[in-house]
Amino acid sequence: MNRYPEFKKDMKTLETEDARDGIRRRQFLEILASSFTAMSLSGCGFRPPKEKIIPYLEQPEDVLPGVAQGYASTCGCCPAACGMLVKCRDGRPIKLEGNPQHPLSHGGLCARGHAGLLDLYDSERLRGPLAHGLPSSWPLVDAEILRQLAGIREQNGPIRILSRTVTSPTLRQAIAEFSRVFPTTRHVTSDPVSSSAILEAHRRTHGERALPGYRFERAKVIVSFDADFLGTWISPVEFTRGWAQGRRLGLERSTVSWHVQCEARQSLTGGNADLRIPIRPSDLLAAVLDLGSRVARRLRFESGEKLLASGEPSAIPPETLDRIAERLVDHLGRSLVVSGSNDLDVQLAVNFINHLLNNYGNTLDLSQPSLQQEGNDEAWDALVSDMEEAKVSALILLDANPAYEHPRREAFRRGLAKVRLTLSLAPRKDETASLVGFVCPDHHFLESWGDAHPHLGVYSTAQPAVAPLFNTRAATESLLTWSGIPSTAYDFLRKYWRENLFPRQKRWEDFEAFWDNALHEGVTLIEEERLKPAAFNLQAMADLRPIRPPVAAGELELVVHPGIPLGDGRQANNPWLQELPDPITKVTWGNVASLSAASARSLGVVEGRIVEIAAGDRAVRLPVHIQPGMPPNVVAIALGYGRWAAGKIAANEPIRKMLPIERESPGGEDLYPFLGTPSVRITPTGQMAALAKTQTYDYQAPPGNGRPRPLAREATPEQAVPEAGPQPPGHSEDPAEGPALWPAHEYPGHRWAMAIDLNACTGCSACVVACQAENNIPVVGKAEIRKKRDMHWIRIDRYYSGSESNPEENPSVSFQPLLCQHCENAPCETVCPVLATLHSSEGLNMQVYNRCVGTRYCANNCPYKTRRFNWFDYAHNDLLQNLALNPDVTVRTRGIMEKCSFCAQRIAEAKARARSEGRRVVDGEVQPACVQSCPSAALVFGDIRDPRSRVARAATSGRAYALLSEVGTKPSITYLARVRDRGV
Amino acid sequence: METRPSELAVAPVEAGGHPPEWALSPHPPLVDGEKSLHQVTEDVVSPLERFPGPAWYAGFLLSAAAFLLGVILVTHEIWTGIGTWGLNTTVGWGWDITNFVFWIGIGHAGTLISAILFLFRQRWRTAVNRAAEAMTLFAVMCAGVFPLIHMGRPWLAYWVFPYPNHRGPLWVNFRSPLLWDVFAISTYFLVSATFWYLGLLPDLASVRDRCKPGLRRTIFQLASLGWSGSGRTWARYETVYLLLAGLATPLVFSVHTIVSFDFATSIVPGWHTTIFPPYFVCGAIFSGLAMVLTLMIVARKVMRFEAYITTRHLDALSRLVLLTSCIVTLAYLTEFFMAWYSANPYERFAFLNRAAGPYGWAFAIMIACNVAVPQLLWFRGIRTSPALLFPISILINLGMWFERFVIITTSLHRDYLPSSWSLYAPTYVEVGTFVGSFGLFFTCFFLFCRFVPMIAASEIKGVLHDGRTPGPAAPPH
Repeated sequence: MNRYPEFKKDMKTLETEDARDGIRRRQFLEILASSFTAMSLSGCGFRPPKEKIIPYLEQPEDVLPGVAQGYASTCGCCPAACGMLVKCRDGRPIKLEGNPQHPLSHGGLCARGHAGLLDLYDSERLRGPLAHGLPSSWPLVDAEILRQLAGIREQNGPIRILSRTVTSPTLRQAIAEFSRVFPTTRHVTSDPVSSSAILEAHRRTHGERALPGYRFERAKVIVSFDADFLGTWISPVEFTRGWAQGRRLGLERSTVSWHVQCEARQSLTGGNADLRIPIRPSDLLAAVLDLGSRVARRLRFESGEKLLASGEPSAIPPETLDRIAERLVDHLGRSLVVSGSNDLDVQLAVNFINHLLNNYGNTLDLSQPSLQQEGNDEAWDALVSDMEEAKVSALILLDANPAYEHPRREAFRRGLAKVRLTLSLAPRKDETASLVGFVCPDHHFLESWGDAHPHLGVYSTAQPAVAPLFNTRAATESLLTWSGIPSTAYDFLRKYWRENLFPRQKRWEDFEAFWDNALHEGVTLIEEERLKPAAFNLQAMADLRPIRPPVAAGELELVVHPGIPLGDGRQANNPWLQELPDPITKVTWGNVASLSAASARSLGVVEGRIVEIAAGDRAVRLPVHIQPGMPPNVVAIALGYGRWAAGKIAANEPIRKMLPIERESPGGEDLYPFLGTPSVRITPTGQMAALAKTQTYDYQAPPGNGRPRPLAREATPEQAVPEAGPQPPGHSEDPAEGPALWPAHEYPGHRWAMAIDLNACTGCSACVVACQAENNIPVVGKAEIRKKRDMHWIRIDRYYSGSESNPEENPSVSFQPLLCQHCENAPCETVCPVLATLHSSEGLNMQVYNRCVGTRYCANNCPYKTRRFNWFDYAHNDLLQNLALNPDVTVRTRGIMEKCSFCAQRIAEAKARARSEGRRVVDGEVQPACVQSCPSAALVFGDIRDPRSRVARAATSGRAYALLSEVGTKPSITYLARVRDRGV
Repeated sequence: METRPSELAVAPVEAGGHPPEWALSPHPPLVDGEKSLHQVTEDVVSPLERFPGPAWYAGFLLSAAAFLLGVILVTHEIWTGIGTWGLNTTVGWGWDITNFVFWIGIGHAGTLISAILFLFRQRWRTAVNRAAEAMTLFAVMCAGVFPLIHMGRPWLAYWVFPYPNHRGPLWVNFRSPLLWDVFAISTYFLVSATFWYLGLLPDLASVRDRCKPGLRRTIFQLASLGWSGSGRTWARYETVYLLLAGLATPLVFSVHTIVSFDFATSIVPGWHTTIFPPYFVCGAIFSGLAMVLTLMIVARKVMRFEAYITTRHLDALSRLVLLTSCIVTLAYLTEFFMAWYSANPYERFAFLNRAAGPYGWAFAIMIACNVAVPQLLWFRGIRTSPALLFPISILINLGMWFERFVIITTSLHRDYLPSSWSLYAPTYVEVGTFVGSFGLFFTCFFLFCRFVPMIAASEIKGVLHDGRTPGPAAPPH
């Protein structure tokens, strides 16, 4: 405060002026009238943005109250920039869905993307600019910033803009404009979970600092070294789509890809692999080099073999590596080796293997690279050093929170104190924004005009679906204002597209038509000059040698990774994500220290024991989670938790105190200080914590050496190919159809049904959040989850092979989405005393909320346990959050049962539309939220009475089975067994 | 009834059989102490006419306090939500329905004693039938509370009645066993209450006749429905009593059969069992008789009714307890055999898990209390010792509560999909509500002791001379 005497003076003048002019009678009436108008306006709800925006399917003049509209836009939750459709009702976004026309995400959207909706309605977002921590106004803040910037320019003081990867070309242009006006500006990009090593490796091997486009759909053999590409790595939706496409069963065995995962933790991707090899992080480089040298040997490329031969034995058995190398060499140009490591040597070796296998230009595309990760660790390090040496005069935090999301954040914080002008564009007073001089909050991506450029040649637009809720300002506008060329984000965006993109295409002659189309489709493909990577530079491989990171005796190697629910933690204040169970650990509301059973035994700890994890002077306390599949002597912990300035949800303050004697235990811990730390000391404490898990029994086999129950079934490729072959992966439990006591239901029209292909489902949990958003499912909080009262209508069951008494060290993992099975002979329907649950003439099992008296008998009698009871009146007291509620779905009161309805509201909508157009509902027209969101298209919904529908065809597959068919419930959901090729 | 009347006979019976040794000549009397008819009236009615002793006050206040605790916690539960209980998505019923079945079971002995033993001419029943019937009523009241408060929205509980309404096609579901429960329990309660009240009439008239004119007299005058004691009244009374006994008898079997259908008709492994109806009825009689024993042992001491409720009565009750315990044991064994014999993996696991799973301790308590402890009753010395019978009867009640807990909770907590398996533990609200139900039960029972003749004096008078040398006929009182 003391550093800004002028500002202080200004504020004082303003205050005294305000105080001096007392309110006169006329003014009083004016204020009264205007505030009355404002009140009534706010009562009317939400204004659409004033610029012209184009709805996805309908023209604006067709807007009908109560009819939802979809606007094509771009997801802003991470730099992957998936295409999305924003579903709006009465001027407010209520649901995000994937844009099926997007060439990368193909209609998929991940859990974090779906949850982005709730970030819009986060009541802890800033409501206006802040100056020195106090609310201020835009003119005041701008004047002060400009004054200081001008001063800095005069003294030639260096200005730095720090951001995560910026995918928006318009924003990049705005940064360029700013840099033109302030020539001492440099833009530093740093990603919390960095892929810097991949870019640097390509600079060395191919002469281009670029991230290749990964084409998983073309790869028949995928070898991943610690790259969680189905869960969190770079662009999971795009990769999941490609991966699932590559695993589609055709007529031949050879069409199905084979996926090997060598990893230091049990990741989602590892759970989906055909062959999973746990290795310690310190063994990673040796393993990559070993595989590379074997590949080179098979290709008779002796110099290459020599380059890679490390002479050190790797942790993977040689025969396994030989078999992998053989398969790779058999698929030259149709294989893909990836690594998620941020170690340059590993990435260089991976590049070399891909080069040997002729994958560049086939499964790896460097000519049209990805622009989704551009973080540069060296630039970041230089920035922090400069700041510490007081060589930076102004720091603009465009979209970054380095005071939280970086291991060197203490140095950053020290440096920040030495910067004259610090300002942040963060939408909330986060860890960094609470340290800076000025906060100029950016819009949420659903409020702002924008665009994205995720791959070379792919441009997508972002339309605001609602006028800004608060007094915020788009980042582009802020930068332009300070550059002295004030312009609205909309005008600047159009200008950029008119000048840079419109001339590069030939299809449209009129810019307005081009623009309308770009907005309408959400994505535009534009021919761009492709990169011409140089020939592989073998010199780069010269000084490649395995250096094992030092692991002190008695310490455990540490793996710190982004988690599925929270990713890098930027959405930590999102209750949907906090309550989303991690698909592997099934833990919600916090992170845990995952250890193998052997490591836990040697440490003398059990599940739930709180341990202290320490390295140097840093220490955190976390509960232990015993994780099968972990390599020995390794501890894995997710990032993104433990934020102290993100809000109440991130801090895990109780959503509502359900019982007066209950205490909420703290959420997760922040592991960013440990990012890059190779090993830690683990000391058990005397405390225990009950983990908030949604699934507490992990095996399909009951305890006591029972036979595994045939729930999430698997088949070998030989059994499953060709698809629809004669032999089902049968189990003797499937009974022949017996005589029925009751007359069968009649279905005069449709009969809705679903097919779930377990071979495509990765367990990513996007459907869980999509369903939560669509169906107004409440969030219940950590204490309630601990009591196993999760409310999700669709859940992902996760099983390990083996059994409780005989656990496997490296089990295979099965995922099975479970939702109401809409049984034909539904056990819930017969037991309800008041007929609150009924069978519809279209095969739906309906729950009549206002008839339910809450005996819970139906839930007891449901063998699938998919019914959810409202134990309390779950919090709907955050009025802002309530704006995300779907008006088509009732908000349930306490004391009643609820469950999946197959999105009955969407069926009704599609039927009404078809009727008004005088046609039948076509196959694929009805898409429940879970089906729509699935990145791998594992879920198919339709009318099973129509033999040509996709769901009817799926049901005839040789892999098809009904879950618990022996109970005789006749579910409407068909599961298709997973195909896994364990062969080595 | 599987029991043959002759086995249970205390007094010699006309029709064959082998009466127990001591029941043979000389006939042991049903009432000790050479009471005259007047003395009987005096003994039974006079406690109603003086202020009760400190023991009564202490007991009543304790019960009322427990009841109040229950009222507070149920209010809290209805106000806040079922979430105040420890239930979860997997275990939808816990202590609530366990307590319901437990209390319904307790409520079985009363009607058994008053109706079935009446039809079988077991004259020893006269000493205990009034109190046992009252116990039945109070137990059914306690039982009825639980289905009501276990609902998520108890204020809509009336929707389970099929009454004409304006809600269009909404009607009750006649396929639901919960609906059958509604009919079975309400019928049982109404018939039991009528039967009990009918039996009370002559004694209410006795109380009335001893009252001075005033409010008290008016009340008893109204309550005794103008009983005149004439031969015609007696003749009508006896006929109606016999008819009602015949009507109540099938109810003893139907109520618990239908309660067992809640479980037997479901598809939960461990519930879906055809043996449930007889098994539940027998278990109910077992627990009901144990509760009668508990109450009688206390009441004969506190109310000084040793002359009327003799050790021979306790002995007879104990024999019934022993018999029903053996039947229950057979049912346990049959369940396990059937689980093995069915070759159904889910069924087999349900029973393995019952015995050796996380709730194995509850199963162990159940077996110890319901199978092992009652075997002590083979010894007459134990059967005739109130001090030994009392703890045994308490243990049996505990065991029977755990039987219901084992059936309900251990079957639910691990059913078909292991992903949903979970554990359940009650919260203080559930424990307090259970304590409160005991509070309700004993509050009612203490009021009953205080305001209504606790022993059927008119019937005792009829058996006063059993086993005694005939004396001069006493004038009718």
